[in-house]
Amino acid sequence: MSARVLLPRTVALALAASGVVLAAAPWVLNEFLLSLALTCLMYAGLAVSWAMFSGATNYLSLATAAFFGIGAYVTALGYETLTYPVAVLLGGMVAAAFAAIVGATILHLRGAYFAVLTFGLGELVRHAITYVEKKYSGTVGRVLTETPEAATVYLTVLVVALAAVVACVIVRNSRFGLALAGIGADEQRAQTLGVNTRLAKIGGFALSAFFAGALGAAMAVRWTYIDPPAVFNPFIGFQTVLIAMVGGAHTVAGPLVASIVFSLLTELLRLQFPYLFLIILGVLLILLVLYLPGGLASLWARKRAAPTRDG
Amino acid sequence: MGFWLELAASGLITGGIYAVVAMGLNLQYGLMRIMNISHGEFLMVGAYLTWWAQTILEVNPLVFLPVVALVLFVVGLVVYRLCFRPIAKTAANVEIVEARSLLVAFGLMFIVQNLAYLAWGADLRGYTFLSDSVEIAGARFGANRLLVFAFALAASLALLAVLKFTLFGKAVRAMMQSPTGAQLVGIDTAVLHPTVFGAGIALAGVAGALLSMVYEISPSMGEPYTVTALIVITLGGLGSAGGCLAGGLLLGLVEAFGMHFTSPSLKMILSYGVFILVLLARPRGLFAR
Amino acid sequence: MTSVLRWRNLAAALLVAAGANVATSVLAQDAPVRIGYAIARTGPWAAGAQVSQEPNYIMWADQVNAAGGLNVKGKRRKVELVGYDDRSETETVVRTYEKLITSDKVDLILPPWGTGANFAVLPLITKHGYPMLAPTATGRKLLQLKSPYFFALLQQPDVMMDALAEYLAARSTKTVAFIHVDELFGLEQATALEASLKQKKIQVIEKKSYPLGVKDLQPVLNDIKAKNPDAFVSLSYPPDTFLVTGQAKAIGFNPKVFYAAVGTAFPVYRDKMGTMVEGVMGLGTWNPKSSPAAKAYFDAHVAKFKKEPDRWASAHAWAGLQILQQAVEKAGLDRKAVRDYIAANEFDTVIGKIRFKGGENISTPGVVSQWQSGEFEVVWPPQRATSASLYPKPAFK
Repeated sequence: MSARVLLPRTVALALAASGVVLAAAPWVLNEFLLSLALTCLMYAGLAVSWAMFSGATNYLSLATAAFFGIGAYVTALGYETLTYPVAVLLGGMVAAAFAAIVGATILHLRGAYFAVLTFGLGELVRHAITYVEKKYSGTVGRVLTETPEAATVYLTVLVVALAAVVACVIVRNSRFGLALAGIGADEQRAQTLGVNTRLAKIGGFALSAFFAGALGAAMAVRWTYIDPPAVFNPFIGFQTVLIAMVGGAHTVAGPLVASIVFSLLTELLRLQFPYLFLIILGVLLILLVLYLPGGLASLWARKRAAPTRDG
Repeated sequence: MGFWLELAASGLITGGIYAVVAMGLNLQYGLMRIMNISHGEFLMVGAYLTWWAQTILEVNPLVFLPVVALVLFVVGLVVYRLCFRPIAKTAANVEIVEARSLLVAFGLMFIVQNLAYLAWGADLRGYTFLSDSVEIAGARFGANRLLVFAFALAASLALLAVLKFTLFGKAVRAMMQSPTGAQLVGIDTAVLHPTVFGAGIALAGVAGALLSMVYEISPSMGEPYTVTALIVITLGGLGSAGGCLAGGLLLGLVEAFGMHFTSPSLKMILSYGVFILVLLARPRGLFAR
Repeated sequence: MTSVLRWRNLAAALLVAAGANVATSVLAQDAPVRIGYAIARTGPWAAGAQVSQEPNYIMWADQVNAAGGLNVKGKRRKVELVGYDDRSETETVVRTYEKLITSDKVDLILPPWGTGANFAVLPLITKHGYPMLAPTATGRKLLQLKSPYFFALLQQPDVMMDALAEYLAARSTKTVAFIHVDELFGLEQATALEASLKQKKIQVIEKKSYPLGVKDLQPVLNDIKAKNPDAFVSLSYPPDTFLVTGQAKAIGFNPKVFYAAVGTAFPVYRDKMGTMVEGVMGLGTWNPKSSPAAKAYFDAHVAKFKKEPDRWASAHAWAGLQILQQAVEKAGLDRKAVRDYIAANEFDTVIGKIRFKGGENISTPGVVSQWQSGEFEVVWPPQRATSASLYPKPAFK
């Protein structure tokens, strides 16, 4: 068997270059534009890590909100005692651990059952945290009195987003990624071919959860007061799925491009058309799904004349 | 009425509300695998129409119910034709239909909700109808809640009867069992699908109309109901009308008893826990076909 | 007249006209005062924001401009509102204020709706020095952050619960049962209520909490009804307030005092629940009978928006705008000076005198209001009351 290149040189160079360019932003952009860039990066990280698992295996997960929120709450609880980078890392790990445990319980379900279950996870975790907090600390939510500099937050999110992209590329080129794709194509066949589908699924689920949690942990410092209803916002889950699928969930570049386009477009519309922008967004989305079903990625994939995967 | 019976009755009534909310979505998903998460938005529209009729036109909400059903049925037909039929035509398999209909439904959600904000504003609205209490065996319940429960039962039974005994119902079941086979014997999806989709939207609107008698309404009220509907139909078994009713009632009971024995704060955790447990034991829901 | 002369005259006339135009525009068209804000127009916060807050912003700008403009240290300048929808999302709130402050560079800002959103912008306004008068933020935690630029207009939970406890004590209430929503607001109010009741030696015979979004509280209410408390207090948000009222009627629960915290002050409560609201008490600061200024504000609001302001935060929002207006008149648009002026002075507003200490409005007392014949009357404290209280509460109709 030929040697497998996990991270092709061209990709690595491209990522490194963009990393360097993007890292300059805090000194070039004003606060608002920096925040906009931050949003783009956040959704890039979320969408890419979502596609890594759900795009490959076709297990449509709506649990991003839950993982993001868990990470955010880890920051809420731990920020005062841990340093910021440690909190981010821990947020990712707690989310991953949660995903592994939950995954072991529910990953035998498919399709709509899986989607609905993951959808409710955000609500479940939110209520659980509220209950535990209320009972044992007598209060809900945490106030962060001191927060890191905007540049620090930005660079941290940049690092996490880049890591997500790198992870996604490596996974796709590895046997693990092949296993995930095999599960997506035909799970039973993958099993008969010797893939431990259960472990693969749990691993993929947990890995994508790690990045969502880390991003949540990183972003939470921007809100000063972190309480369950704010951080377990289902819209983040929707938007992630939307972006990844609109971009083309079976690719890496698709969700990346879509996250930037979507974040900028939403912001532009929101600022320009204060009362109509959601309608415009909804119409655009429907048109896109109906007339460009392969997602944005199919735009350049078609040019390669290779058979595109539908989805 | 004994304490436990009253508690159970409370739970069943709330469960009836859940079942009513879920019925329309169940039809759409069961037949066409359309994951219509904008379901709650049409519920909201039904609620607003009824409120508007009651407050501005001073029409009795019950009398207005058929109007809501009709209006939303037509809306459903239009929405199906514009948004979902193209998907069914071009998708290679059902999973793709599910995924794409999910995205389209997101778009619909944005559009319908925002239209509501433009039309009626963000303020809370409401009216009260049949708020008097009804006494049953010593226990008292709000008349409007009992009405919703009665409707849930009646509609579910009616739906089950239609599915079992009428030609139309048989066609629907045939389509659910085997789309190709059904088409081979001449069942026309071009008529069936829009009709069922429209019926689903109509049911959503009627659920909203009934709920508007009990709860306040706002443009953002739809989403929590969509979540409830999704849980109920998954619990009951996707596509099963009987399962939808059973799932809703079970959820209501679990909540009522759970809230009593532990604490109301744990309501969500309990419902969810039961949900996961049921799916562990029966991965296709309680009444899966 | 020869044609050359005519052209010369015409040119001269045009020049004079143009010069006059320029002169008048220089005089009347000073750059407008740009006041920016993000507010919830969609999403869960919108219901509150569009009743209590944004209408006031719009009406104030209209009134000020109709009177010739905002008085900035003697010079009149038009007010231009720069408002965006924050979609009830904390991150969007932060980003929008960053835009307003660093990109748009607005002169002044107005607050978003709700405690969470105000928390989120606090570091930003403190760092850039933009004073903010917030009418819909509660909680000691906010004030504990001690931002010199933040001013909370609403009464804090302990103040409101003290007033309630005082009223209950005045009515010789012995026992109270209460429920509260499982959110920061509910928890803070609950803690405050228990402390206040303990001080007045009133016994709490039942307390329960419930999650936001609950659809049925009948079992809880049945439980409480069986214990027969003198007073029932529901520290709830509007949806639960509606629910609790309707279900209390359904089971025939008629304690002598029935109090529901938030939502009772909204006109929609009366509109939706109809005759059920008679005698129900809740959080509310004012009504049109409180003063002539209050009546004028009420009438203007109804005339402009065809809907009533609420009987609690709406007037606080209006008061905040009045304070800002008075501060700008004296201190101009130097934001630090405006801030200092607000912190050091007492102001006349639609809800009476307001003075701040440590960012808290220490002048407006805790108030208990009660629905009587279609109006949310202030019934406690006696010096603010617009009507005597209806006690015991008549049975639900």
